[in-house]
Amino acid sequence: MSSESLNTGAMPDTLSYGEALRLAMRDALACRPDTIIMGQGVDDHKGTFGTTLGLAGEFGADRVFDTPLAEEGMTGIAIGAALNGLYPIMTHIRADFVLLAMNQIVNLAAKYRYMFGGCFEVPMMIRMVVGRSWGQGAQHSQSPQSLFAHIPGLIVVTPSSPRAILSTYAHAVRHVRNPILCIEHRLMYGLDFHMDEEMPADPLTSRRIRRGRDLTIVATSIMTLEAQRAARHLADFGIEAEIIDLHCVSHPDHDLIMDSVRRTGRLLVADTSWLPYGTAAEICRIVAERDPSALKAPVATLGMAPASCPTAKSLEDVFYPSLRDLVDRAARLVRGGNHGIPLPDERSMADVYKRFKGPF
Amino acid sequence: MAFTDSEGKSDDDSKVSFESMMYDALKIRLVEEKIIEIYHSDRIQSPVHLSIGQEHVAVGVCAALRRDDPLFGTYRSHAFYLAKGGDLKRMFAELYGKATGGAKGKAGSMHLSAPEVGFMGSSAVVASNIPHAVGAALAARRRGTGQIAVAVFGDGATEEGVFHESINFAALHRLPVLFLCENNGYAVHSPLAARQAYRIGTLAAAYGVPTHSLERGHDMMGIRDLTAATAARVRAGGGPEFLEIHTCRFREHVGPGTDFDAGYRDDAAMLAWQATDPLTVHRDLVDRMTPALLAEIEAAMAFADDSPWPGPEELLTDVL
Repeated sequence: MSSESLNTGAMPDTLSYGEALRLAMRDALACRPDTIIMGQGVDDHKGTFGTTLGLAGEFGADRVFDTPLAEEGMTGIAIGAALNGLYPIMTHIRADFVLLAMNQIVNLAAKYRYMFGGCFEVPMMIRMVVGRSWGQGAQHSQSPQSLFAHIPGLIVVTPSSPRAILSTYAHAVRHVRNPILCIEHRLMYGLDFHMDEEMPADPLTSRRIRRGRDLTIVATSIMTLEAQRAARHLADFGIEAEIIDLHCVSHPDHDLIMDSVRRTGRLLVADTSWLPYGTAAEICRIVAERDPSALKAPVATLGMAPASCPTAKSLEDVFYPSLRDLVDRAARLVRGGNHGIPLPDERSMADVYKRFKGPF
Repeated sequence: MAFTDSEGKSDDDSKVSFESMMYDALKIRLVEEKIIEIYHSDRIQSPVHLSIGQEHVAVGVCAALRRDDPLFGTYRSHAFYLAKGGDLKRMFAELYGKATGGAKGKAGSMHLSAPEVGFMGSSAVVASNIPHAVGAALAARRRGTGQIAVAVFGDGATEEGVFHESINFAALHRLPVLFLCENNGYAVHSPLAARQAYRIGTLAAAYGVPTHSLERGHDMMGIRDLTAATAARVRAGGGPEFLEIHTCRFREHVGPGTDFDAGYRDDAAMLAWQATDPLTVHRDLVDRMTPALLAEIEAAMAFADDSPWPGPEELLTDVL
């Protein structure tokens, strides 16, 4: 889907992640009269971090409305609305709150089409925002893509750019008849991006965003940006990383990953969540089942430390993988432990990306 | 022709007749008795939660609804499926796991559906589709369809948080929802007294939702008339209302048997209900209607027997 077909007007050269979300929400309301947006504070003065700001005024309070603090009930209400002809978009200002709706998402939304033999469809979108930094702590920081991608019937995306948002959300609203869960990253909301990125015709897949011969980095969400920073540093020392933005975590492009790994022989997976039974493990499963002989070295994985997210900055900084970790792991994969490549002396990712001072 | 029910109320030609409701209730009863009869044969390889004793609630309520009113049921939904107008052949085929079943054999007894008559499926997770009725009502109002949505649930569902979340939102937005509680007094084997610090009939009032309780869940005409009057107010935009209808499950929670020897309840209450059961009281009517219904049931079972199994290509169909 090209950006020209969106109901968003002319595209600027650069756009922020958050503004892209607002344009995507506006497009969803404009392109079909049965779209509704519901969630805590969608019509308030902050408008879901700006992404729903002004939309209740423009499209009506009956289409963009606040909800009670009832995540399971409201998810069920969205399912029922979808069953009777609406396209509901739900918002959660923290992904952690969606866990209250697991019953509706896993037992109902994911199963309606299959369990009833194709008699029903549940076209709906659930947006959730992953928090990081400024002491978000254990219950404002979780990134639940692998929990949902485990369940047949759900589509899970982790957009890493405004182009990914605009193409994916427009495609979902117009063409997808299953529940789609969009895991957005708060740290990217304020970042400006160039809009020259190419998107595939069907955005519900993975895409290569950098070519390289020495190793393949498969990344999700904001780790895609970290992978690009690492790749630029590595390039100064003669290592060329290929980067695949996994994007559609539930339905990654297996061929794209395998083709890349066959060429590079080395795989590093960088995810925003925990490693055991997670997205990184799944990518390794794909390679191990398809062609483990393509690997010249054992795989490497980077994710959150196996603990709940701590609040203290000194702990938070080691809880998340850093740019130094990413560069070091990539260099080790290609050149071994004595790779000799200086590691970037960089503040933690949150310091680099953060454009706000808490609280939210 | 006018019939009278066990309380002697006369019928009204403008409404679904007592005889018609007796026919529907008897059909459900005979279908489930047939299920009991053949269950040992393993032609039905699916847990069955029988409605025997509770058929009258489904028949009375559905007699007062529009065909396109979406109704969401529970795992004990043979009665509501048939009362709403679901096809009997497709039901038996579904119970048998055949490709001609309503869900091509993927649903079994607990997830029957018939969207063509507004039967919007049934969930095996207690209370979980109550909010779906609220959402369907939200859509009905936005789209101007004139539908009311019906959430059917048991007494146990009122203990779940999602029941309260659903009724709060429906009341807040005055949505056209009919909340229908079939109170048979037990959650599996646990009695109300072990589970609830409240009386069900008082709950909805906290949300400003009018409540109507009916003690005699075998009184199909009473249920029909109460539902019709309630549905008319809900359809006219008066906001949601709550019906609690007391009833009695004659059989065990799941399976074809009875369980009065298990010790958690005795049969005195059931015998009292049976004494006023129209399907017991109106023996002549039952005898007259039975042969045709049995023929229809036999035909449905033959259809299911003769139908193919779903092929392996169905395994991954309808996931996305």
